[in-house]
Amino acid sequence: MLAVYQRLLRLYPAEHRKFFGEEMLAVLREESDENADKRLFTRSRFFVREIAGLVTGALREHFRVWLEIQEELSFVTGRVAMRNGFRFPKTTIVFMTLILACVVTAIKRGEDIAASVPNVNPPLPIHIQPVHSILLGGIPLLFAFFYAAGLIGWAILFALRRSGVHRLADMSGERQ
Amino acid sequence: MTLDDMSLEGIMETLPLTEPVLLILLSLAGQPQHGYSILKDVERMSAGRVVLSTGTLYGALRRLLDDDWIERFEEEESPRGRQAYRLTAQGRRNLQAEIDRMKHITRLATLRVATKES
Repeated sequence: MLAVYQRLLRLYPAEHRKFFGEEMLAVLREESDENADKRLFTRSRFFVREIAGLVTGALREHFRVWLEIQEELSFVTGRVAMRNGFRFPKTTIVFMTLILACVVTAIKRGEDIAASVPNVNPPLPIHIQPVHSILLGGIPLLFAFFYAAGLIGWAILFALRRSGVHRLADMSGERQ
Repeated sequence: MTLDDMSLEGIMETLPLTEPVLLILLSLAGQPQHGYSILKDVERMSAGRVVLSTGTLYGALRRLLDDDWIERFEEEESPRGRQAYRLTAQGRRNLQAEIDRMKHITRLATLRVATKES
């Protein structure tokens, strides 16, 4: 258990590990000793709780470091810097959805009108797929593909400690 | 706006505290404690309802240290130089503000419920 915990501690930012690492291990050692003679169920629950707490704690710490870097950047470079706050207005999502719904409805109405006036236009020799079906089918698929590719790429960089967060952390360390 | 008003405003922004943080602060209110004794004290105070993991405890301690609500020091009588934590003056003030807030809500709730029942 302690060996697993020690390895998982590496998930934390280096600075947190240096400050709290040994102390956290000491606390866990005391807890493990206390739970050693308890039932399997109690020990399993303890193990799961500790591992979950460690993983979520590590994520939270990375997020905190990331926020600190953002704040430092905004302080150093002034107006052009990335800010801490979420600048994308939430109402935009509503409007974008409304616009998409309007476009799809307009296309559908157009098709209905075309269907209600038969034989005005001669049938085309080739079949053209309606635009909205291409939009609705293709875009989410493309989005999911690129999102997954980006996520995998980021995970690899993160594992190699070469992600933007790590680089910025190194930069801020050098500056200090 | 006076300085006192400004500091009170700062405190009010951080309230209400989450239950684990409140229990950690209460644990340190009596005497300085080290990590393991805080975990056990929190469990005891909440009658086993709040059981903190080590990761959660040290996340909370980290934030409280950053905000100067608590401070860390080396225990003198500990053989391995174990680290302990204690409340700062600011931490004690903030804890008191939270307790006052809870007292006010409890008083209000008691009054409202009593009025409704009668």
